Amino acid sequence: MPEQILEVTDVRKRFGDLAALGGVTLAVGAGELFGLLGPNGAGKTTLISILSGLTDADGGEVKLFGQPFNRAARDLRRLVGIGTQDLAIYPDLTPRENLRFFGKLYGLGGKSLESRVDAVLAEVGLTERANDRAGTFSGGMKRRLNLAAAVVHEPKLLFLDEPTTGVDPQSRNHIFRQVKALNAAGVTVIYTSHYMEEVQALCKRIAVLDGGKLLACDTLPNLLRTLDGRVRFTLAQPVAGFEERLAKVPGAKQVKALGGGIEVTTDSVPELLPVVMTLAGELGATVTAIDPREPTLERVFLHLTGRELRD
Amino acid sequence: MPILTLAAKDLRLLLRDARSAVILLVTPLVLILVLGMALGEGFGEKPDDRLRISVVNLDRGLSTKQPFPEKMWSEVVMDDLTATAGIRLELITDRAEAEKLVARNRRAAVIVFEPEFSERMNRCSFLSQATPPPINPFDRDGVRTAEVGLTLLKDQTQPVTASTIEQVAQVTLLRVLIPWMIGRAFERVGDDAFMESLAVKLKDAKPLPPAVLKELDPVVQKLLDALMRDPEFAAMMLKAVGFRDAGTIAGRSREFKEVVSQAFNNPKLMARVGRDIAFGEVMTPAVRAEVGPKVRDGVQEVLSNYDFKAKTWAGLNKDRARSANPDGVTEYRDTSGTGFLNRGAVRYQILVPSYTVMFAFFLVLSVGWLFVAERKHGTLARLRAAPLARGQILMGKLLPCLAVSLAQGFFLLAAGWALFGMTWGSRPDLLAAVVVCTSLAAVGLSVFVASIARTETQVAVYGTLLVLVLGGVSGSLMPRDLMPEKMKAASLATPHAWALDAYSQLLANPVPDAALIATACGVLAAFGAAFTALAWWRMDLE
Repeated sequence: MPEQILEVTDVRKRFGDLAALGGVTLAVGAGELFGLLGPNGAGKTTLISILSGLTDADGGEVKLFGQPFNRAARDLRRLVGIGTQDLAIYPDLTPRENLRFFGKLYGLGGKSLESRVDAVLAEVGLTERANDRAGTFSGGMKRRLNLAAAVVHEPKLLFLDEPTTGVDPQSRNHIFRQVKALNAAGVTVIYTSHYMEEVQALCKRIAVLDGGKLLACDTLPNLLRTLDGRVRFTLAQPVAGFEERLAKVPGAKQVKALGGGIEVTTDSVPELLPVVMTLAGELGATVTAIDPREPTLERVFLHLTGRELRD
Repeated sequence: MPILTLAAKDLRLLLRDARSAVILLVTPLVLILVLGMALGEGFGEKPDDRLRISVVNLDRGLSTKQPFPEKMWSEVVMDDLTATAGIRLELITDRAEAEKLVARNRRAAVIVFEPEFSERMNRCSFLSQATPPPINPFDRDGVRTAEVGLTLLKDQTQPVTASTIEQVAQVTLLRVLIPWMIGRAFERVGDDAFMESLAVKLKDAKPLPPAVLKELDPVVQKLLDALMRDPEFAAMMLKAVGFRDAGTIAGRSREFKEVVSQAFNNPKLMARVGRDIAFGEVMTPAVRAEVGPKVRDGVQEVLSNYDFKAKTWAGLNKDRARSANPDGVTEYRDTSGTGFLNRGAVRYQILVPSYTVMFAFFLVLSVGWLFVAERKHGTLARLRAAPLARGQILMGKLLPCLAVSLAQGFFLLAAGWALFGMTWGSRPDLLAAVVVCTSLAAVGLSVFVASIARTETQVAVYGTLLVLVLGGVSGSLMPRDLMPEKMKAASLATPHAWALDAYSQLLANPVPDAALIATACGVLAAFGAAFTALAWWRMDLE
């Protein structure tokens, strides 16, 4: 684990009778691209709000760069960028004016501000529209500007809360590229989404949050490893002794007959498949169909929460 | 500096908000323009319940000085008018202006003292003969105004008011003329001409009735008695008739007096004696000189409730004189303004500050919408995530709002000057102070409303309602002078009222009360501070 720049210990938050966060503990290391996964209402935005200093937790502790962090810690906020779930740009200002404004708020100024604004505009592909009012932009362009406003001051830690909500595929790819580029440049990114494939594609480590509780927090392979893979074979005709031989194959954990086929549970579908095909050849069995099912994040989520992510 | 960064951003947003520009700048100007053209010239004048009597004084006065009156007769009449409760006098410089005002229905009637007014008033007399020839000014309706050199210009479309003014003029003329004419007439009672005239009248009154002669007997007896005892008379007698006859007359004087008395008491005898004697023969010049003043005094004594010599109404009635009221006289000013916009009309001295004050508080809409937009666009949360203190965020909002409010205030006053010809009074420096303090109060209230309203609709409803109610209560929608005193006092609970009072001092008073303006500025700043404190307490940046 690299140096931890964010440590969250037993953070709790209530809104009236609703426990938005019920004691969340996690840590994020420097340079990580950390995914926070959960359905709507899971507590992701509340957690991001606390971690970015928008609101204080009712209990627990947040440390940023080793220092206690809350709304009063203004200096630490200079190190943090936030791309909020709702757009946070001024529609009556141009992108350039928006970025200048946010840059100045974080202490930038003069030529360095101007060059930084130009650079960020270029990164999000808005240079040509830099002097048009942001209110005239498409949803995707606004999202890109929102991201640009979050990073104009070159934060060390960047929170991106559902950054691709309502954007077109082109803008989504643009955002992906930029997030990867930022992370590659050393920016620690905490990325929340309820889009499984986004988190799976971007994040090396993922926390699964639901009902205000942290259900899992690990690397993607480790998360996937919590579930078995399955392979289904359909044979042209039954072959005596095939199931018994399969049960003895290394890696096969469970074998059972299902209609006209056989289902094998395994830790590693890729390792099991060639062994099964070899065995079929030896026994003269004709395999008419193979249906390999590896563990996915979605299945992990379903397994952890008991419901689909988009329920 | 983050505050300036925030302020510059909000200022830019406010300047790009066409809706705010229309509300804060265009609407008040349009309202001032429309009301300025629609309202009568009386709007903005200090309310005066007194009847306005407009006068053109062309009176040349008297060619020679005389003890009474010591001034022109027109001035005597005007003094009487101003001394009368409920009347104020408006002096118009020339007849042409007066005729124009009447022709344009702006005055129901105008009294014109013609050049010969004093001379003709001076000739008014009960006497039938005098030099110059006397004038009888009366007829059944009162005073024949044409006879005394007074013309009444009347607007035929305002007969009631014109008639009222005419009656006031009539009564005033009667109050001036009657004591003058009585006084002059009374001076004649008992004077030589009067007594001579009386003597002439009595000269033909023959015979002298026996009863009159009988009444003269005691006088004759006294005369005879005195003569007989007088040594000089005795000497005269002695010289005239000699010693013996003089002694005889003296010795028989008692019998002589008795015979004379008997004769005076003998009607038949007296009828014969008095047949050729007239009353007038008794009224010799010396008698007239002696009797005349006594006659006048006698009349005065008999009618002692009045002083016929006084020549003034109060004097005639032996009442306390009422002095003329200089405050009751004003010079006519053309308050209607000029041109299509009525530029320079007095009403703009009221309308411009009234709407400047009222629309200063319409800032609540702009500021409210600014806060709501900040929430709606998610940027308020973004600001909270930035390294900013709550106070910096609020100050960053306050400053641009104050700048806009100041710009609005100065713009409307400048537009008032440029478009409507209003004046800035004698103390533009204090005017600027009032603009600043009004803006402080307006910004405070605006931020307070913004701290309560969460949606654009709430801002529009709360803001508009608040501004209109405060405007109505404070007197922004009508001259504060028209408000009942209690309401006027109650309205001081609004910042508008203090601002309006300060503006009124500065724009309507030639010598503004600096202490009152300083107080108003202090109260406005206090309002601003209180509203801002409430906003600070109420403001939820979550």
